[in-house]
Amino acid sequence: MFYIHDIAAISPVHELFASSPENTNIISGNKLLAVEPVYAGIPPTVLRRMGKAVRMSVGAALHIIQKHPQLDGVIIGTANGGMEDSIKFMNQIVQYEEGLLTPGNFVQSTPNGLASQIAFMVKNKNYNNTHVHRGLSFENALLDVVMLLSEQPSASYLLGGADEISSYNYNIDWLAGWYKKEEVSAERLFNSSTNGTIAGEGAAMFLVNNTRTSATAKFTSLFTSHSTDEAEIQKKLEHFLEKHLPKGEQLDLVLSGENGDRRLLPFYEAMEATVGENAGLLRFKHLCGEYPTASSFALWLSCNILQTQTIPAVLEKRKARSTTFRNLLVYNSFQGHQHSFMLISAVE
Amino acid sequence: MGIISPIGASVEQNLMALRAGTCGISKGNFIQSKYSELLPFGEVKFSNESLEETLNAHEPGVTRTSLLTLHAFKDAVEDAGFSAGIIRSPDTAFIGADTVGGMCLTDEMYKDANLLSHGSAYLASYDFASVNMYIQSRFHLQGIVNTINTACSSSANAIMYGARLIQQGYATRAIVGGSDSLSKFTVNGFNSLNILSNEICKPFDEQRKGLNLGEGAAFLVLEKEEDVGSKKVYAELSGFCNKNDAYHPSSLSEVGEGPYLAMSGALKAASLSPSQIDFINAHGTGTENNDAVESAALLRVFEKVPAFASTKSNIGHTLGASGAIEAVYSVLNIVHQEMYPALHFQSPIPASSLIPNLSYERRKVQHVLSNSFGFGGNCTSLVFSKT
Repeated sequence: MFYIHDIAAISPVHELFASSPENTNIISGNKLLAVEPVYAGIPPTVLRRMGKAVRMSVGAALHIIQKHPQLDGVIIGTANGGMEDSIKFMNQIVQYEEGLLTPGNFVQSTPNGLASQIAFMVKNKNYNNTHVHRGLSFENALLDVVMLLSEQPSASYLLGGADEISSYNYNIDWLAGWYKKEEVSAERLFNSSTNGTIAGEGAAMFLVNNTRTSATAKFTSLFTSHSTDEAEIQKKLEHFLEKHLPKGEQLDLVLSGENGDRRLLPFYEAMEATVGENAGLLRFKHLCGEYPTASSFALWLSCNILQTQTIPAVLEKRKARSTTFRNLLVYNSFQGHQHSFMLISAVE
Repeated sequence: MGIISPIGASVEQNLMALRAGTCGISKGNFIQSKYSELLPFGEVKFSNESLEETLNAHEPGVTRTSLLTLHAFKDAVEDAGFSAGIIRSPDTAFIGADTVGGMCLTDEMYKDANLLSHGSAYLASYDFASVNMYIQSRFHLQGIVNTINTACSSSANAIMYGARLIQQGYATRAIVGGSDSLSKFTVNGFNSLNILSNEICKPFDEQRKGLNLGEGAAFLVLEKEEDVGSKKVYAELSGFCNKNDAYHPSSLSEVGEGPYLAMSGALKAASLSPSQIDFINAHGTGTENNDAVESAALLRVFEKVPAFASTKSNIGHTLGASGAIEAVYSVLNIVHQEMYPALHFQSPIPASSLIPNLSYERRKVQHVLSNSFGFGGNCTSLVFSKT
């Protein structure tokens, strides 16, 4: 449906595809924090005001925009945007009893700040949109781009997904039971048999258009669903693969959003039963942690795998039978009520 | 269409109030804030308890934003005559927008976020998506569901996204709109920016002092022309355009580049020349910056600026709901071939000399342009036309 060209991510993972691929950031208190680069392209006065989600997004975006300044739009998925700033502002409201407050945190808190700050940095006046549909924020941004590229076939867009760990937001989701009560190391995440997972964060950006030449990967199709019934999701996956996997081709790799939460395992097991034994089975949440736009990290990872035709061992749950990888499925579930399938293919 | 606003809990009540030039802005009765007595608000005139009762919405963790959404959503699907089966059909999309979500519960969220509680009933209700997830789960929606937040242009973008889903074949019908409720969070946020007026707002007036925050929700049902058959049709969504001002996080550029591009783009998409627009539902927040910039942009787009008004003089700025509420009002202009009076206006801004429409008038309204501009430079314009 479109081609992905340049990609950039800021995540808890150090150079995954470089010489020491298994080097991930240290986990602390069940939070997997993103490793931030030196943000060379952002003026220090501007950088100081930015919250982490904005910083990571602008940083990753600039990496792409420097090489591709002509963009026809910026489309971002983020469930919460500048969450830390939101709650900092809320704390001020309560602590100063609605006294005289400075607007900095309020202005930084709006989720459309990610896409709009990218636009300001490079004076891009084109289409600009922000999707905030929790665990399907990035997927809806993706669908927006699919439609844009059908409306404007010669255009190029910046597509991205980003969310930050805010200590406050972590508290809210911890109280709701979404994070593990006991500390767990990233390596042991998938052996855990308790409820909850570990928190993560990151920003992943993609330059996408309809040009096949020198593309990194091809994005073939997307499906999203709201359901709490694994049998229903399984049926939808069967239908999705029948409809979108090219005739005579097989699924070579599956990237599973498994996150160590016992309650979500039935969804992932149903998916594994559907895709069969031939496809290699990969997992990624021990590298990036769980966050509503983690599927954008999965897409970044997929592009790297398909382009380099290599699989970092740290991802493998079951080895692929094939040694060349053409079709890759990402299945992700957020909190067991939002689900997405993404089919991505290699470009020869 | 379905709507709940400070001037009515139905399309009919809103219509009567617009015709009568009713202003729904007053002291706050329900908002929990020290400013409730000090500043004017466009408040929906029902308590949460009464909304819960009339809507039979007793699920735990339901917020005011969700209640307003449910009210307008229910009215919209009833007006369209949709059965429960059609509403949950996989080819029915639901696109909602909001900028407050469950943050209307500022104090509960403060306690939960700082671990000063054992977890309130609202843990899953604070984010923006919670509002639409509530509708999704209550009506068992199976089609595409999305939440958009581009600040004050959010629901204009929700309308645009829904229309595009239909154009591209991802949905046969789309229920689109937005909602927001008054919250301590936004009141203090806008107050810290010094853009709240302590008087009732006066859009496009020389002496304007800022905006009044409001609340509400509106949803519209969109279908393709060829699928309409003998069903009731109010108007055509004939054009839309989304652009960015790319200037400043919380104010618009003096020349109004974003507004200019959004308006001209929407006209182009509708294949209309500026002179064919009969009426403009302006963004017109009543702030120094917006009204000056929007006026400048109007003068750039239109050789002769058509009749215009900002219905924020009736209901205040309903943020994530405003694009959808104003879409409903634009459609009413077309359905009833009439224009409603702008309120509280005294003297024009000297630089632009633009005077909004000040009286109720029956006249030909073929095409209406509706503007929504937001923080982050997010500007979207929609065009509605008589069929």
